[in-house]
Amino acid sequence: MAVVQKSIALPRPRRPLLPAGALQAAVWILVVGLIVGPFIPMLYASARDRPLYEAGGILTLEPYRQLFSDGEFWKAWANTLQYAGLTTIMAVIGGASVAILVSRTNLVWRRAFGRLILLPILLPPLGLVLGWIVVWGPGGYLANLFSQRLHLATLAIDTIPGMSLIEASRLLPVAYMTCEAALARADSSLEDAARSAGATPSRVLRSVTIPMLRPALLNSATLIFTLAVASLGIPLLLGTARNIKFVSSYLYLQWTNAEQPDPATVSAGAMMLLVVATLLLLLRNRLLGAEARYVSIAGRAGRNAMLPLRGLRWPLAITIALYLTFSTLIPVLGLALMSVVVVLTPLVAPWKLLTWDHWHQLSTGEFHRAIVNSLEISLVGAILATALVTVATLVAHRSRFPLRKALPFVLLYPRATPGLIIGIGFFWTYLLTWGVGSWLRGSIWGIMLAFCVRNLPFAYVVMYPTLARIGEELDRAGRAAGAGWWRTCRGIVLPLLRPAIFSAFILMFVEILCDYDPALFLVKPGNEVIGTTMLSQFIQGSVGPVAALAVVQVTITLVVLGLGARLFKIGVTGGHDA
Amino acid sequence: MPEIDVAQLVKTFGDQRALDDVSFTVADGELFTLLGPSGCGKSTTLMSIAGFQTPNEGRIAVGGEAIFDASSRLNLAAERRNLGIVFQSYAVWPHMTVFDNLAFPLKVRKLSRKDLGTRVREVLELVDLAPYEKRYPHQLSGGQQQRVALGRALVYSPSVLLLDEPFSNLDAKLRERARTWVKDLQHTLGLTTIFVTHDQDEALSMSDRVLVMDGGVVQQIGTPEEVYRRPANRFVAEFVGQVNLITGTVAGHEDRNAIVDAGEAARGLRVRVDQAPQPRSSLTVAVRPEALIVEAAGDASHNTSNTLLARVTSVAFLGDHYQYELDASGLALTAQSPHQVGSTDVKVHIPPDACAVVA
Repeated sequence: MAVVQKSIALPRPRRPLLPAGALQAAVWILVVGLIVGPFIPMLYASARDRPLYEAGGILTLEPYRQLFSDGEFWKAWANTLQYAGLTTIMAVIGGASVAILVSRTNLVWRRAFGRLILLPILLPPLGLVLGWIVVWGPGGYLANLFSQRLHLATLAIDTIPGMSLIEASRLLPVAYMTCEAALARADSSLEDAARSAGATPSRVLRSVTIPMLRPALLNSATLIFTLAVASLGIPLLLGTARNIKFVSSYLYLQWTNAEQPDPATVSAGAMMLLVVATLLLLLRNRLLGAEARYVSIAGRAGRNAMLPLRGLRWPLAITIALYLTFSTLIPVLGLALMSVVVVLTPLVAPWKLLTWDHWHQLSTGEFHRAIVNSLEISLVGAILATALVTVATLVAHRSRFPLRKALPFVLLYPRATPGLIIGIGFFWTYLLTWGVGSWLRGSIWGIMLAFCVRNLPFAYVVMYPTLARIGEELDRAGRAAGAGWWRTCRGIVLPLLRPAIFSAFILMFVEILCDYDPALFLVKPGNEVIGTTMLSQFIQGSVGPVAALAVVQVTITLVVLGLGARLFKIGVTGGHDA
Repeated sequence: MPEIDVAQLVKTFGDQRALDDVSFTVADGELFTLLGPSGCGKSTTLMSIAGFQTPNEGRIAVGGEAIFDASSRLNLAAERRNLGIVFQSYAVWPHMTVFDNLAFPLKVRKLSRKDLGTRVREVLELVDLAPYEKRYPHQLSGGQQQRVALGRALVYSPSVLLLDEPFSNLDAKLRERARTWVKDLQHTLGLTTIFVTHDQDEALSMSDRVLVMDGGVVQQIGTPEEVYRRPANRFVAEFVGQVNLITGTVAGHEDRNAIVDAGEAARGLRVRVDQAPQPRSSLTVAVRPEALIVEAAGDASHNTSNTLLARVTSVAFLGDHYQYELDASGLALTAQSPHQVGSTDVKVHIPPDACAVVA
């Protein structure tokens, strides 16, 4: 055995130019500043007797007094709670049922259903709602067809239960994913044991499977309830026409449509909504406990024995297929059809009304600008947000920065914050930050920043499980070898995290492309994005071009997600543990 | 070359004291082992030296230079301690080739490309991995991955080598080979090494000195022979190897032996002691099974004192020896012998020198 010759003088590792603590502190301040910061001007604006853009003014609780004395506001709350409650019940029951059927029974086509059921949450929410309206709405194609030709009444979707149904179909994947992950983690031998003990499949479901799902059900119910309270698109598009106001649409309409816009009162309302959303998030964190907060991607090895459905195998599969057809496929097809006909009516066959006019409009004016702007901010925003979340996740979980424990909560916070509140927050922030603020306010980058902050949690939830699976000894080995924190991150952790960084980027791109509600308070002529244009043009009645725009958005989303899924598979092997 | 000095380390997790006043000194070139059951604080001690845990109190110095001192709030970052460490999981970076794994510490130290290549190849030669430099970790066996980890810890000539249960992921055959190999390498390089394990065989066979730990408290520090033959207390006796514990009262004292009465079976048992014990006090004595001499009851014997009559309750053949479970008028004993004893009635001799007082 050769003796180690010290043939080469080995210097001691040098101190890095910038201490790791400075970098960590900078990232921490940036993340907390971006997420919590905008609420401070909003709080300030809600406690002033006049808008911030007017000189003078004193601190007062008058806006709150005014808001709380408005009967309309309380009625809006009643509507919102009813809407969110109904949505939660439908989405959780639906999502949990599908999750059980797909992962624990011998349902036909269960694998395909497991993927397709996620579509509503991946597709642009606004586009999907417009699809529903075009097909099932008052005067919608199929709604008319059913009532006039078949004399069958369809559900009126412009009522609270109707709107809840649409919202539930959008949020059902949230319940599905949570329950599916819980089922994948739970040992199926628990169920096998019950069957060996003589329980019938339905008894096993009742006594073992469903009780085991309880934490997942509570968790997804809280999240869905929060998201439904925060929802703006459906209330605005369907509720306003029937004069059914919800908290979100009430605030939006107070801001834009009132004879005397009262930003202070709107800010007060936004503060109240923010408090409710925060309480719900805290409640959810309490329900979850520390460990189970994140869904681990890692699946269990080995296949479970499936509960036999016997005679129900086909009927249940057909039910799910019909559900997917009516809730997702038909609205999307409806949009596509709408985009190529002059009007969509059961009275005239669609092929007699074909036109490319709507699509031609996309290459001009506001529509064209919106598409270009959206693509630009999606690309730049996804890069910036992914980079920030990546480093923030490292600070939160792989550093000894003293305040690191606050970061996971802060990073998840915008998930429960209504988009319109983020919009109002950034509106006031830009107003109060002089040169930078006014530049951001006048350009698409201000909207981009708000969208990025809104969607940060998605990047984090994708990134964290992968990071958690990269053994901490790998970076300790780097430190012991003499590399500082950042050098270790660059050389060891980030290369291993690459697949997760890539999927976070894909997800951020899609989410920013499809987002709209924070922009409603920031948009100006010239810096429109796809979402805001769809909303404003639809309200103005140009349904055809909006449908074409929605088809564009859906197509880009599906292409990017498909591309991401394909590339992502190649990169997965890099992330395994030593 | 450095001596490691660990003084009065205390580490608490909430109410729990993971390290309670842990002090020891490792001499230059020594292979020093921290031995104990899981959760005893041995890994916490090692990680405190490496800089991945921050003790609440105490001081750690390498070669006379403090790297941690709670009283003056000195806590040198892990990357500036210049220690080599091999983790239990090896922590070989999966996205780098064997060569790149070893090159990383040198790149951090900004070595020229030429020097880097020379040095890495030198160490690859040393750990018998020269033909594998272009392989990725997943293309290597467990033993090879372990040698990559070791090479990576040696490549920058660290002042001290820390080994955190490095053999626990190897199968039994390979483990034995790896032990000898690491011990030889450590000896050749003369590298001061701290080794953490819960495996007593590993600790006894490899170490110059062993520190036995339990509940965050140092139980005994000594050579493998001392720890095995003269355990300081009951815990050490039971943790390191198999043991018979005999409890009795002190009846008297004679030469360097105490006379102990342990029930009906063992009256007037002679036990070697360092100091005369209090008469009538209670005493527990540890005797290793292989120290007991078992003979058929009929055999003429040169041992007369310290000999008990016993009945064999079970025999197990273990390849190189037999293990006997004995009943000496109510006193249960375990004995090992390379010979097979024909009868069930036996005589058991307990050599006074093989007895260690543990309580």
